[in-house]
Amino acid sequence: MGRYILRRLIQALPVLLGATFFIFAIVFALPGDPVAALAGDKRQDPNIVAIIREQYHLNDPLLVQYWHYIKGIVLEGDFGQTFAGVPVTQLLAGKLQVTLNLALVALTLEAIIGVLLGLWAALRRGRATDTAILASTLLLISIPTLVSGFVLQLWLGVWLKHVTGTEFFPISGATQGLKSYLLPGFVLAGVSIAYLTRLTRTSLVETLRSDYIRTATAKGLSRRRVIGRHGLRNALIPMVTYLGADLGNLMGGAVITETIFNLPGIGLQLYNGVYLREQPIVVGIVTVLVLVYILANLVVDLMYAVLDPRIRYE
Amino acid sequence: MRVTKGAQIVASTALLAVAVAACGGGSGTETGNSGTSADTPVRMELGEPQNLLVPSNTTESEGAEALAAVFEPLVNYNENKEAVEAAAESITSDDNKVWTIKLKSGYTWHNGEPMIAQNYVDAWNFAANQENAQGAGYFFGRIDGYADLNPGEGKTPSTKEMKGLKAVDDTTLQVTLTAPFSQFKTMLGYTAFYPLPKAAFGADGKVTDAYGEQPIGQGMFKLDKPYKKGTDQSIDLTVYDKYPGKKPNGWTKLQFKLYNSSETAYNDLQGDNIDIHDSLPASAIASAKTALGERYQDQPDAGIGYIGFPLQYNDEYKDIKMREAISMAIDRKTIAETVFSGTRAPADDFINPAIAGYRQGACAACSYNPGKAKEQYAAANGPKMLELGYNADGGHKEWIEAVANNLRANLGVEVTVKPFEKFASILDDLDAKKYKGMFRMGWAIDYPSAENYLTPIFSTGAIKTGSNYAGYTNPEFDKTVAKGDQAPTAEEGLKFYQQADDILIKDLPYIPVYFYRNNSGYSTKVKNVKINLLNQVEWVDVEKA
Repeated sequence: MGRYILRRLIQALPVLLGATFFIFAIVFALPGDPVAALAGDKRQDPNIVAIIREQYHLNDPLLVQYWHYIKGIVLEGDFGQTFAGVPVTQLLAGKLQVTLNLALVALTLEAIIGVLLGLWAALRRGRATDTAILASTLLLISIPTLVSGFVLQLWLGVWLKHVTGTEFFPISGATQGLKSYLLPGFVLAGVSIAYLTRLTRTSLVETLRSDYIRTATAKGLSRRRVIGRHGLRNALIPMVTYLGADLGNLMGGAVITETIFNLPGIGLQLYNGVYLREQPIVVGIVTVLVLVYILANLVVDLMYAVLDPRIRYE
Repeated sequence: MRVTKGAQIVASTALLAVAVAACGGGSGTETGNSGTSADTPVRMELGEPQNLLVPSNTTESEGAEALAAVFEPLVNYNENKEAVEAAAESITSDDNKVWTIKLKSGYTWHNGEPMIAQNYVDAWNFAANQENAQGAGYFFGRIDGYADLNPGEGKTPSTKEMKGLKAVDDTTLQVTLTAPFSQFKTMLGYTAFYPLPKAAFGADGKVTDAYGEQPIGQGMFKLDKPYKKGTDQSIDLTVYDKYPGKKPNGWTKLQFKLYNSSETAYNDLQGDNIDIHDSLPASAIASAKTALGERYQDQPDAGIGYIGFPLQYNDEYKDIKMREAISMAIDRKTIAETVFSGTRAPADDFINPAIAGYRQGACAACSYNPGKAKEQYAAANGPKMLELGYNADGGHKEWIEAVANNLRANLGVEVTVKPFEKFASILDDLDAKKYKGMFRMGWAIDYPSAENYLTPIFSTGAIKTGSNYAGYTNPEFDKTVAKGDQAPTAEEGLKFYQQADDILIKDLPYIPVYFYRNNSGYSTKVKNVKINLLNQVEWVDVEKA
């Protein structure tokens, strides 16, 4: 299996290189002069613009700029710096942790709530509970994060604190440990919870119809064991696949949630980077996201064997 | 290879383990909510400063707010909008060209060094030198010798010092300008004019990054620790013991909490998690009036929003009568009150009410008069199609659409609205003479003088070096502004500036549409929050409730 993992990681290299170049080119193609944008509504002194452009190699063609960037990373481990002179590595160091925390809290909430709701709906298939769960997931999918975020912040943050006098869900910031991440994590996971619920339900309903479930029931196993050991375990593969891919989605999708809850993560940094056309920031963050995707997919593939021993890696 | 039982357990618990470990990290100090002791900081909302905290590279409001707490400017502004000496004992000139600035004694830097006149000379020379690429370098353009430090693109300055800048002795600074300027004293309250201590400069004569992270000032507050931009979520300050001026009463700690969303900060204000929020979002205004009551404040802010014309290369807009008609067709009152929920006021002058020199109703063509507009537009034979450009990234869509509707309804013309990705793209197209339509424009002042609404935006010189995007040029206007610059006193200068303002009102190179307003609020834990002309909190007045 060691060789398999190594091979997968080596395969990731061209993906990383391609993705960074692609993003680099896109940021390069964005309209407007990044240095002029620094001055807001005022005109930047042309001398100063020229000097800053020179400093950041902005006058060079795309390929030369990209070469400078990759050379810096490979030779000196330098991921470039922002126009304000902050190294991108320093920028990411503290923020990556915040976004990872947020994404993992969201993923955990998603896994627990999604699987439980899906299980419940599947076992009550066709009845009122099932319909109610399906209807509420539809509702959850249709509310944009921006709305649910501010509404929950107002209700559970401001209002609840006023009424009870204690702060259960911090309104903003990441300074209170796990507590800080519960509400934003839930908001971020919202849509995914709904999808996972539906996925679990469908997957489980299908599995429960299989022959081996009938066999298991026929040989007198308890209902709990039939559903838990034989049904759920086999239904888990599509769910794990979804969860794995979703980790990357959650990290990338944290932009809005991080803004609403003022969490100093990379989502926000990504937005600012695109806005100011700061290539090093955008490419640095995208590289991290691609890495997370690749690793998450690897973990997912490894999990398959745990769930279904027939699956082998060569 | 087959996956072993051990690997199963490892894999199945991996996610959970990572999750738990990850959440364990990232702890920090949380400010307690209890008590109102002197040690609980006064907490204020702030956006992330754009750059490291170096005065000469800070031209935006957030960094300026933080620096204003750390530095004492040469002048402050009183309630009558006049400049009054702060770190300066006196600022005098016989001819408005050679200025003598006497410094008050008793100011020391936060590292113990005494503040001397040379600190100003060093800071200003550093700021003005093009090699240092300081964003606020152009503020020193009126000082004699600025040109030597800015020979232009690709050239190296021959000297590092402006000849118009001299420290006569430790407490006397002499500044010689290239031409008389009656408003010079007023400029000196701006961030760019703060001095820098010796400790700010590295061996290469440049301000160090370490200084930018923890600026040493000579003002009321000093930074507790370096501010790591991009990582830190707050800037923490403590009152500096040896500050010679008046200190805040009953509290010593100040904390700027950094927010990306104004709405979130407003929710935190309601939850008493911050004490002062000086830029309430438009969405909160309606509820803030009832939720905060007296703690909600609304006052003029010095910014203006315009609609501009590319006069320089599009003759379609040449007729003044037609521009007047367009101006009269815009229902500014409804836009300010409805579209902006009252966070703007209808503009009726080129000078903002926050600044001395504003005259109510000065711009007659700025009042809504659809009947006359239609008549005049037809008489002037204005074009049947108009185009309105704006930058889609700054919340301008709504009011631009409203203006477009006004023009459609009141002038009977076709109006297309053209969004640009960002403001810089409009400027690029204007520079390239590619964009032919009207465009949205805005101005926030650099220093609180009527002159700042004129020279940088409408003077002939500003076509090249300033923000004259219309390409407007009128020798009479330039002459009148120059008379104001050369007037013996600031007050007499103001008369000429108002005359120049009258020329603008007649010519309408831009149409003023709205004045900004400052909407602020504070928590139940503080009182007496005042916001000054530079949109900064007067910390000395703030008290704990």
